[in-house]
Amino acid sequence: MTTYIIRRLLWLIPVLLTVSAVTFVVMRSAPGGPWDTDAERRQVDAATAKSLAAYYGLDKPMWRQFYAYVIGDTNSQTKEWVCGVVCGNLGPSYRQRGRTVQNILFSPPEGKSFWQSRFGYSVRLGVLALSMAIFIGIPLGIIAALKQNTIVDYTALFIATSGISVPSFVLAIFLIIIFASRLHWIDIVVDDWTQIKYWFMPMAVLGFGTLAYTARLTRSSMLEVMRQDYVRTARAKGLAERVVIFIHMLKNALIPVITILGPALAGLVTGSFIIETMFSFPGMGRAYVQAIGQRDYSMIMGTTLIYALLVAVANLSVDIVYVFIDPRIRLEE
Amino acid sequence: MRKLFTLLSLFVLASMILSACGPTPAATDAPAQPEQPAATDAPAQPEATEAPTEAKEAVLRINTGTYPDVIDPQKSSFVNEIGHLDKIYMGLTTLNEKLETVPGAADSWTFNDDATQLVFTLKSGLLYSDGSVLNAKRFEYAFQRNIDPATAGEYASITDEIVGAPEWRAADTAAEGYDPETFKAALGVKASHADGSACADYEDTACDTLTLNFSKPAPYFATIAGIWVGYPAKEENIAEGGDIWWTSSKFQIGNGPFIWKSVDPFVKSVFVPNPNFVGGAVPTYSMEYSYITDSAVAFEAYLNNEFDIVGSAAEDLPVIDADADLTAQHVKYAGSCTIKIQYSLHPTWNGQPNPFTDKKVREAFALAFDAESWARDVDGSLSLPTWTWIPPGYPGYDANTPLHFDPEAAKAALAAASEPFNSAEKLNAMGLKMAFADSARNRQRHEWIAAQYKEILGVDLALDPVEPTTYTAIQKDPDTYPLLSRGGWCADYADQQNWLSVYWRTGTFSSRWGYSNPEFDALVDEADTTVDPAKRNELYAQAQQILLNDIPGAFGYNSLNHYLVKPWVTGYLTTPQDHMFPGDLTPWTITIDTSMIP
Repeated sequence: MTTYIIRRLLWLIPVLLTVSAVTFVVMRSAPGGPWDTDAERRQVDAATAKSLAAYYGLDKPMWRQFYAYVIGDTNSQTKEWVCGVVCGNLGPSYRQRGRTVQNILFSPPEGKSFWQSRFGYSVRLGVLALSMAIFIGIPLGIIAALKQNTIVDYTALFIATSGISVPSFVLAIFLIIIFASRLHWIDIVVDDWTQIKYWFMPMAVLGFGTLAYTARLTRSSMLEVMRQDYVRTARAKGLAERVVIFIHMLKNALIPVITILGPALAGLVTGSFIIETMFSFPGMGRAYVQAIGQRDYSMIMGTTLIYALLVAVANLSVDIVYVFIDPRIRLEE
Repeated sequence: MRKLFTLLSLFVLASMILSACGPTPAATDAPAQPEQPAATDAPAQPEATEAPTEAKEAVLRINTGTYPDVIDPQKSSFVNEIGHLDKIYMGLTTLNEKLETVPGAADSWTFNDDATQLVFTLKSGLLYSDGSVLNAKRFEYAFQRNIDPATAGEYASITDEIVGAPEWRAADTAAEGYDPETFKAALGVKASHADGSACADYEDTACDTLTLNFSKPAPYFATIAGIWVGYPAKEENIAEGGDIWWTSSKFQIGNGPFIWKSVDPFVKSVFVPNPNFVGGAVPTYSMEYSYITDSAVAFEAYLNNEFDIVGSAAEDLPVIDADADLTAQHVKYAGSCTIKIQYSLHPTWNGQPNPFTDKKVREAFALAFDAESWARDVDGSLSLPTWTWIPPGYPGYDANTPLHFDPEAAKAALAAASEPFNSAEKLNAMGLKMAFADSARNRQRHEWIAAQYKEILGVDLALDPVEPTTYTAIQKDPDTYPLLSRGGWCADYADQQNWLSVYWRTGTFSSRWGYSNPEFDALVDEADTTVDPAKRNELYAQAQQILLNDIPGAFGYNSLNHYLVKPWVTGYLTTPQDHMFPGDLTPWTITIDTSMIP
């Protein structure tokens, strides 16, 4: 297994290189640049734009800029060698002047821990949302399958369908109105994210869609497994129903569910734009979306690479988890 | 392996959850801040000992929306950035509620006869919020840093009237032998003692004079000297904090009405009164900025009494209008922008003659735009109709305009246009197109415009939604400037020069859409260099009338500042130049009646 993991990790290098190359080309093909701000105000003048382009290396040929981003280059103004992504440098932000992408995403505010950086917030929220999806979605799917065509099944299906069809911004505002405006259980304006009570609503809104999808997938997967010969055999052998469900059915039914949970985690960590907008949550999703509109090239590249890395690692984790779920599966050595 | 994996997973999960709910140190306070003064003159502040219940602290809680990208005086440019800076710092001058330029850190200023030199005398005994000396050398550094190409601030060009500024900004800093000190020495910015002798350092309390020399007369520069690019951030703090100095409240030591006490990025900023502030009274309250970008959530928080001031949104209007209390709390007044339908005036468009080179076509499109209906129906009364350029409240506002909405006159004007532009059929054959920055709201807006031109003139406008940043980019290039687009100008500072010379003079913004009138240029050139205020105003007024008669666009509406303000917040003096909340320019006049807070 170790060899397999090392080989998969090495494969990440060409994958990330390809992702960054494609992102770079697509990003730079879009008209406009980091200094193309609101047209209804004074624009960056030619001399300043030239200085900025020189400082950030945007006056160099495209291939050189890409090389500089990945490998590194000498800054034409400071004459210092600046190592690129290979050294963990995701580049300078063009809008948040003076800050690097890694500083924006991974550095916490003064006096706070890593988990209070934008990345840390997003990871924690993503993990919480995924945990909710797993610990509620999977049991919901199992119960719905076991009680097929009963009121329990219909209720579970209703929840699952709602979760998929109700947009997160609608759910968010409903929760705010109910729990903050009407019940006054929590404040709308959160000024202290160290209090766990404030995490409930963002977690619920972010995780509800994944919960619903997980429940539906678990249900359909369970229904398929329930009709398999080996389940009938297990029951014929006189095994307890609990053993049949948890040992024989669930292990097999969970394989497709686990397959989607890896990418789901990556999506939950990086895709919290709506949640951040609605709850003023200090994660990294907003940085990603804003960067696109602002043509903050390094920020776009950096967040895309992190997303790609998360997806790749999540998929690798899923492959490893398969081994634990189903003993028939062996990772290729 | 299996056990290790399980153990590791549990450990990571537990550490993250514990980190989420565990105690953490509060945001670091700015060190070396003096004790805050008690609110001295806030009305209705109950004595703590007499209050039957715990006395409420006077805190103004404002939702400001988007968190700033950069909070650096010489690098910032957006209103949300300036809305932070002008609480921490104050320039040499400032604006009062009538948008008149009044003393800020400077006690007085004088121009020489031809307005090529401006001498500021600072107020005596100026101090930063940490008690250190604030002298003219600090302002000298601020202007130098703004001009320095190494700073590359987005508003660096706004001080180009200063001798040596354009040359330094355009210098090749990578060139061999580049020496910033040479450019600095040649710069028309000098701090000195009153007798003209050189200042020693930042501790020199007698260093109270700042002289600015201009390459051309600049009688408006006292106003520019008050904007954020001249705010006196401390050189040593910038050096110590490095490129990211501005992210930390401890380095943002200023002379403004407030001290930036703490910041939790994207969550909250806390400002407390600066006891050393001399630009007005020391505020009697603290202030908290929050950064909720969704207007529906901010509105709910306002209803929940978690905010004292929020911007109102069109979506909130039905609720506001249906509630007498909310209606009374809805504060609306003219803003700082004029928006128009801009015509491209270049000779050709899309390889064919441009119909908008014909003044009658321009007139037809201007007369057919119903600005009042737009403001009422499209913007939900959150804009003000206008038929002129400089908005109300600004020097130079002139309500005397040649054109108003008139459908019949619009039809007649189109019919009077020259061939081949004198009918809707002929224009439709050309396939007229209007570009806009794509958003759901803008789609509605532009569909309304197209429908109106269709109804009144019979003209078919094809709508061209463009991704917002791309839209800005195509507007910057005369070759790609759209035939029709919606755009305008928001004031940098309150002077006609900013509205007319900076925007419409040949070679400025107007070159993008091709407007040029030598008579207009001559008038604004003369006005820009005229010291006598009355004569200057008259020249600008004449220039604006020429502009309006040229009909370079259909002037449509002015922005409207619109906020919900709780009844316990009083004393605010509104101006069109408010950035973040009513009374933004003079926050020291605001009082909070804590006895009214539920």
